[in-house]
Amino acid sequence: MTTPVHVLGSSFFSTHHASLADALTGVERPVTPPAYALLVGRARRFTSLVTQMHIDVCGALPVDAAEPPLTVFATCHGEIQTADILIADFHTNSVVSSARFALSVHNSPSGLYSVATASQAPSTTITGDNAIAAGWLEAALTALDAGRNVILSIADEPVPASFQGPTERAGVAAAFLLGKCGGRRAELAIVPGATTVSDPFHLLAHMADAAARSESKALALGTIQPGMTLELRFV
Amino acid sequence: MTSGYPITGAAVANCLGSDNRTVFEHAFSGAETFSPASEFAALPFPTQLGIMPALDNVGELDCTPTRLAAVALASARQLVPAVRAAVERWTAPRIAYVFASSTGGLEETERALAPDPARLPSGAGYRYADHGIDATSRAIARYLGISGIQMAVSTACSSSFKALASATRLIEHGLADAVVVGSADSLCRTTIFGFHSLGLIAPTATQPFTADRCGITLGEGSAYVLIERATDATRRSAIAWLAGTGAASDAFHHTSPHPEGLGGQLCMRQALDQAGLTPNQIDYVSAHGTGTRLNDAAEAVAVSRVFERPMPLTATKSLTGHTLGSAGLTSLVLAIESLRRQEIPATVRAANLDPELAVAVVDKRTPAKIQHVLINAFGFGGSNASVVVSQSPRA
Repeated sequence: MTTPVHVLGSSFFSTHHASLADALTGVERPVTPPAYALLVGRARRFTSLVTQMHIDVCGALPVDAAEPPLTVFATCHGEIQTADILIADFHTNSVVSSARFALSVHNSPSGLYSVATASQAPSTTITGDNAIAAGWLEAALTALDAGRNVILSIADEPVPASFQGPTERAGVAAAFLLGKCGGRRAELAIVPGATTVSDPFHLLAHMADAAARSESKALALGTIQPGMTLELRFV
Repeated sequence: MTSGYPITGAAVANCLGSDNRTVFEHAFSGAETFSPASEFAALPFPTQLGIMPALDNVGELDCTPTRLAAVALASARQLVPAVRAAVERWTAPRIAYVFASSTGGLEETERALAPDPARLPSGAGYRYADHGIDATSRAIARYLGISGIQMAVSTACSSSFKALASATRLIEHGLADAVVVGSADSLCRTTIFGFHSLGLIAPTATQPFTADRCGITLGEGSAYVLIERATDATRRSAIAWLAGTGAASDAFHHTSPHPEGLGGQLCMRQALDQAGLTPNQIDYVSAHGTGTRLNDAAEAVAVSRVFERPMPLTATKSLTGHTLGSAGLTSLVLAIESLRRQEIPATVRAANLDPELAVAVVDKRTPAKIQHVLINAFGFGGSNASVVVSQSPRA
């Protein structure tokens, strides 16, 4: 059983690479924050790297402002750097920053994006270590149901060392505009075998690359159910 | 959604009790179960908390024994008979699991990162991968014996209703025949200090929709439902029907609601449309009702605009506290019980209702003919979701 996907546009950002081509070939640059130009003035304050990256890649998609898309945000670790700061603050000072706490929820990018674009379209946020696979599935099903375009935005920032978690250095994000028809055709299929996404950075880069090309390509997005992998096949 | 989705199992646990029977008994009698905050943590400000009783044994789960796991297990344990019947009907790989949480086990991380381990012991041996949403949700899925699609949703206080909507998509598109939708959030210091920093924590027990309401009482809890594809067998097993879901964004402010609850209006209307119901067919609204001045005012405006009559409304957070990512499903399970009992649970501490809010707050346990209930769950980020639950399928 497969789920059809139509990719109408894509974008990519890495803190360590100037372009998608550089990310794919491993040409690094000095660490650079995203521009996230959709947020202006006070809306930019206290935003985390993961939020900034989400906003940046969403802002680079060819969205029709007259018909705001629904949004699906996917993140394995969420606002993990903000959580680290909040915990340190209350341990040290018995107070936390209200602005930082307000932006500590996993759906902070979703809220900021909807305010910045004045969009009342529904939005959801998928998390956990299979967030890339589950995010694709959620976005594809939403696009089939909604009759409107759907943005899938995937991003993660490095996990602070104190968490003793994954050790990725770079912040990375990719976004895809999905529709019900047209664009780059692909499908999602659930295939036997478990897959651990050990390198989400390269997976996102290859996704964005495949969406922009015309060759067939299959990418394992990770385990979507025990012993089964979700595969994204560009056809 | 044609006839809707049969709900064939429902479970809840929170400060009212660790099992359905106790929760329902306390909820419908209006029991006061909030505790002094000092029973959870020493805080430099006054407040009460909805602390779960008897959080002890998670030995049944093959995961690190976190507070989140214990909170989740209290509900999941009660769902076992319904899930076993569903596994017999569909097989384990056809039963998906969508889990919702806002804080996702942050309490263990707080302990692990404490500069003085003596203040918050038990963080020793902390491993990031052993805590939080994944570890708990996978362990619960294994415990329930289901092996379908697994995903986790986190949209603050609307999380569990977003998870419910995701579950319906999995069934609708043939990727699952049944879905366990679970939600859990455990108390942690980050949320207590955080809501306090925003001036949203009530120093005494929360009083939603009253003139002197002054904030939230935070709680912890879990709630689970099992929804299935409609067949003759699942129709017979249905305890209620998921008739419609709706979702919309406020697009106004990250933490403050639109003054007229525009996102709330949109998602209530969407849920009604999907359920094929008019506003007049809803018997009461189970409000998000957090007890903050702005949230209750905005929700009251939204409800009055959608229903255009003094809508009977109850705020179950006056009983359970605000269980954050689990709030929506918690209210849903209580609404399912109200359909069974044909009674509306009271909003407690509602003696001094705000005359400026055009809603008919139910302030005592009220027998009523109830066929359809609309439930709201609104959250940070202007994330709004509504659900309609019905006693029987759509005609």
